[in-house]
Amino acid sequence: MKILVIVSQTQDTEAKIKVSAAGNSIDTEGMKWIMNPYDEFAVEEAIQTKEKHGGEVVVVSMGPARVVETIRQALAMGADSALHILDEGSPDMDSFAMGKIIAGEIRKLGGFDIVFTGMKIIDEESGQVGVQIAEELGIPHVSLVSKVIEINPSANKAVCQKEIDGGHMVVEVPLPCLITCPDAMNEPRYASLPGIMKAKKKPLTEVKVSDTNLDGLARVKTVEIKVPQIERKLRIIKGQDGPMVKGAEVEKSAEELIKLLREEAKVI
Amino acid sequence: MSNEVWVVADLKIDGSVRQVTFEALSEARKKIAGKLGGELCGVLIGSGVSGHAAELGKYGAEKVYVVDNELLKDFNTEGYTIALSELIKKHSPAVVIAGNTVFGQDYFPAVAARVGAGVTMDAIEIDLTNDKKLKIKRFSHSSKAIPTQVFLDHHPMMTTVRPNSFKAVEDPKTPEVVDGAVTINSGDIKSKVIEIKTKGSDRPELTEAERVVSGGRGLGSEENFKYIYQLADMLGAAAGATRAAVDAGYCPYDMQVGQTGKAVSPNLYIAIAISGSVQHFAGMGSSKVIVAINKDPEAPIFQKCDYGIVGDLFDVLPPFTEKVRALVSQS
Ligand SMILES: Cc1cc2nc3c(=O)[nH]c(=O)nc-3n(C[C@H](O)[C@H](O)[C@H](O)COP(=O)(O)OP(=O)(O)OC[C@H]3O[C@@H](n4cnc5c(N)ncnc54)[C@H](O)[C@@H]3O)c2cc1C
Repeated sequence: MKILVIVSQTQDTEAKIKVSAAGNSIDTEGMKWIMNPYDEFAVEEAIQTKEKHGGEVVVVSMGPARVVETIRQALAMGADSALHILDEGSPDMDSFAMGKIIAGEIRKLGGFDIVFTGMKIIDEESGQVGVQIAEELGIPHVSLVSKVIEINPSANKAVCQKEIDGGHMVVEVPLPCLITCPDAMNEPRYASLPGIMKAKKKPLTEVKVSDTNLDGLARVKTVEIKVPQIERKLRIIKGQDGPMVKGAEVEKSAEELIKLLREEAKVI
Repeated sequence: MSNEVWVVADLKIDGSVRQVTFEALSEARKKIAGKLGGELCGVLIGSGVSGHAAELGKYGAEKVYVVDNELLKDFNTEGYTIALSELIKKHSPAVVIAGNTVFGQDYFPAVAARVGAGVTMDAIEIDLTNDKKLKIKRFSHSSKAIPTQVFLDHHPMMTTVRPNSFKAVEDPKTPEVVDGAVTINSGDIKSKVIEIKTKGSDRPELTEAERVVSGGRGLGSEENFKYIYQLADMLGAAAGATRAAVDAGYCPYDMQVGQTGKAVSPNLYIAIAISGSVQHFAGMGSSKVIVAINKDPEAPIFQKCDYGIVGDLFDVLPPFTEKVRALVSQS
């Protein structure tokens, strides 16, 4: 099977967010970059699929030169080769343009059976790019797959479970298809030391975004970013001897909390 | 292009209309349809759904497009994508809105791609600029930032909206019902839903609830989650959970609140035995009042809540729930 996995690089989950001087982007100066956490699950699923059915895993990633680090991480986990769509941060880029460009490059690669990607990227958080890529490629997708029940290349189908409100849904989809991955669908492996060594020698092709046409692709523009400031009251009831409330304090703390919620916060 | 503003109804598995549909209609009427000078329209997609037109009219829909087709009986991505794309191509609305539900997230970006439209997801504010471009606010960066995005010159302008972000306000109209028949061949629907399993619940839905009581890994077992349900029921609240609790099998996945799970913004969020991870807060950090009960005074949640008790949940919760019960039976 030819298995594709689309990954992106993002700022660390714990990163403190600061708005740039221009006011419409995030200041990424000095930030730690990581593989988008949801994409780790996608890479793991791609590698498990290869282990079961044979074939190759091709990593596709778009972004500036620094994303090579994330690509190498996917290769070290067990992917075989990679395509880096180099974009040095075009100001007119939005999710729509990104989806178009990635889909265009994937179409050129061709011959794939299945595509995995994270359900969303934790910076932009729109969750639209994966679905859009499937649509551009003219293949069906299943989003937010909690479990891949079966991939059957000879019957040309995949069966996936998807969680919905109040239950779940099982969807059977023909190959090729695209699957978007939430967390917890598997346990992403760590790259082994030999894996990391081997990754350095695996083939990585680079194409530049300026080679493709970005003109008029963007659909929306970010005009401002604000960091929400919610002041919390931090009224914490603690025990007298030791942090926890104990014995008679328990009853009293419950009473006090009820009183605060009723009289101060007025929520019960 | 017409000036119409569309709200696509989000239907539950049992066929009823989800509240976010009425919220979106009300907000679109207030912020967009007037300024644009266009009709506010509802869109119903499904099988045997035309009966809901009157409900959409109650919240201000002047016109309701109905795509009624046997092949759309249960939600399926491709059927919905074809139905809405064809309808858009035929009538060319200015703005199209849907709820950011599990289904909305699944087919809305596909429709946008198919008709070449811009789309934003999970808006918490919608508005129109002076030159009649859709302008939205949403959360990004694990809910640590709120970007404002403005649409460029492409049509239609599409967005999903976060449930419980707007008030549903009645504005009764008798809508004109328009048959939006589109041709769908069964061969067009390549992915098949082969099983749907749901079990009903008497509790309010997480994304619609005014109050939420959530449990974390510290609950320790499925059995112990009864403490969460008891308190939730006492408060008329929805019951939620962290991923750690869901992963451990203490409760079903649809209770998960957070970056992956549901985004909630109730008046009262009670977090029991929850440490307060960034990912959990991404889904509930904008709640009005946050209460934490946790035995670890160093738990990060104590740095970002309004009220809290440092204590063992098995000590604190029974008397707390009992006092809530007494309060409820008084009033
Ligand atoms: C990509 C990604 C997406 C994620 N998405 C989500 C998401 O959507 N939602 C989500 O919740 N998480 C998500 N997570 C997981 C998240 O990082 C945390 O692991 C998770 O939220 C922790 O859950 P918890 O607070 O229940 O568990 P823990 O962090 O283990 O905390 C348990 C808490 O219970 C307390 N406790 C234990 N026993 C008692 C007792 N008897 N009485 C009182 N207190 C007690 C402990 O002191 C502790 O603070 C995601 C992670 C990743 C990587």
